Amino acid sequence: MSLLSRKTIVIGGGALLLFFLPLVAKLTGQPYLLSLGSRILIYALAAVSLDLLLGYSGMISLGHAAFVGIGAYVVGISQFHSYEATPFLSAPFLLSGSENGLFVLPLAILVAAFAALIIGALCLRTTGMHFIMITLAFAQMLYYFFISLEKYGGDDGLSLYARNSFPGIDLSDDRHFYYLCLTALGLFLLFTCRLVTSRFGLIIRGAGNNDRRLKGLGIRSTSYKLVTFVIAGGGAGLAGALLANQTEYVSPGLMHWTLSGELMVMVLLGGLGTLFGPVLGAAAFLLLEEGLAMYTEHWMVYMGPVLILAVVFAKRGLFGLLAGGNSRDD
Amino acid sequence: MTDAILTVTTLCKSFGAVQATNDLSFTVRRNDIHALIGPNGAGKTTVVNQLSGDMLPDSGTILFNGVNISRKKAYQRARLGIGRSFQITHIFENLTVAENMSLAICAHSGHNFRFLQHFRRSPPVLRELAKALARVDLLPRAELPASHLSHGEKRQLEVGMAMVGNPELLILDEPMAGMGPGGTAELSKLIRRLKGTLTILLIEHDMDVVFSLADRVTVLVYGENMATGTPDEIRRNTKVRAAYLGEES
Repeated sequence: MSLLSRKTIVIGGGALLLFFLPLVAKLTGQPYLLSLGSRILIYALAAVSLDLLLGYSGMISLGHAAFVGIGAYVVGISQFHSYEATPFLSAPFLLSGSENGLFVLPLAILVAAFAALIIGALCLRTTGMHFIMITLAFAQMLYYFFISLEKYGGDDGLSLYARNSFPGIDLSDDRHFYYLCLTALGLFLLFTCRLVTSRFGLIIRGAGNNDRRLKGLGIRSTSYKLVTFVIAGGGAGLAGALLANQTEYVSPGLMHWTLSGELMVMVLLGGLGTLFGPVLGAAAFLLLEEGLAMYTEHWMVYMGPVLILAVVFAKRGLFGLLAGGNSRDD
Repeated sequence: MTDAILTVTTLCKSFGAVQATNDLSFTVRRNDIHALIGPNGAGKTTVVNQLSGDMLPDSGTILFNGVNISRKKAYQRARLGIGRSFQITHIFENLTVAENMSLAICAHSGHNFRFLQHFRRSPPVLRELAKALARVDLLPRAELPASHLSHGEKRQLEVGMAMVGNPELLILDEPMAGMGPGGTAELSKLIRRLKGTLTILLIEHDMDVVFSLADRVTVLVYGENMATGTPDEIRRNTKVRAAYLGEES
């Protein structure tokens, strides 16, 4: 692939734009751009993780928001106990609350990944339409579970007292927080780029393409799919933890199926089966939402046709449109 | 007496009232090209599915190298050394030719929980990919998406993928289906080249192909073994001529 292909330009240009966005926000005196930018980065992270399921391994999950919500609640609950100075767990081992991002963010990833392991192990006993419905069912179960969890705010959710602390950086500074999100997305993209072209990635792409043929070759894809589900859950958990920090608020709404649906739209809009597509999709979706919401509260009415046009006419979504329909990740 | 690689004994499979495989017994000898022929609806594909493990028989046994595999799953049989190509081409259309072949190679190289190294740089792929592609003349097409191949080339790819891991028994389910004369000749050449290195069970419609390639032929009618023998014996068999070959031969 030549150094200046359309794909390189799109990815490089996007990366430069994201890197210099805080500078632009400062120069134009629009600090609002920063929080919008952070939101795009966080949703992009969740959408990329969802695309591992939708676009690569052929698992249509309509419950991805569950893991975003779990990640967010890890941050919320952890801080709740930290302020109350009560332990979250006293047995079998002591687990007290914390506001240290270096501890809480990895914990959010681990808890979300563990939840994905259990939910995935059950969901993967089914395929097709049943898989869609059972992922949806699990997410809604968690949604109602957290609504009924009065201790942690129930329906009203939990307000954070402040963002997590991080050695060396100050997350209450929006610029610092923005660069944390950019780093998280960058690292996750780097990891997933390697992942989808590895032997493991080859297997899951094969499973997404033709699972029966894979069996004929002697590969049972279930465990590969489960690991993918866990990785995607972990990514979504990280996104949730960042989202909780950004809004300084956690609510069961983060687990609602509408968020799963929005993430799915971002993936489709940006380009199913590409890694940078969902980033574009998240940006396009949130910018459209912001733009249209200025004029009408029924902005979904206009979003719908845009999505239909993107799905019907753009092979591989916005990424395919910009970088060429046959662009690949490797 | 040559030794048998595959022995099918009193195999039965029915779908509701339809007896698709009816008390079927036959033996495939090692390193033969054994053809399974029969009119439409004779139950050829049902037999293949039971041999490959995509379907389980109602009763009867399938011995492969002396091991009863009749209850084993498809992926277990693949590991034991049965490769299969499908009647409807079964490849990974969204992946490139090289990726398709690499997938077959990875399937035979232990576990694949390797997350970071590019699959093209993994030792088994480095070792075998070029050889496996060359074997079915697809080296120049390696970087094309499989969906861009011609029908005949897709067949070649599929046979090539079934060949990876050196199966002892290769099941080819109507490999010539839907191919022009050029493609048929090409694939016949490929099959002839493989002859002697492994056992091939060939399910085929095209009589010219069968009689020119096969060492032995089993004729399947209504799920039963009507006759088994050399192509000459089958040609001369009056029962077969009446039931199947008709006036043509």
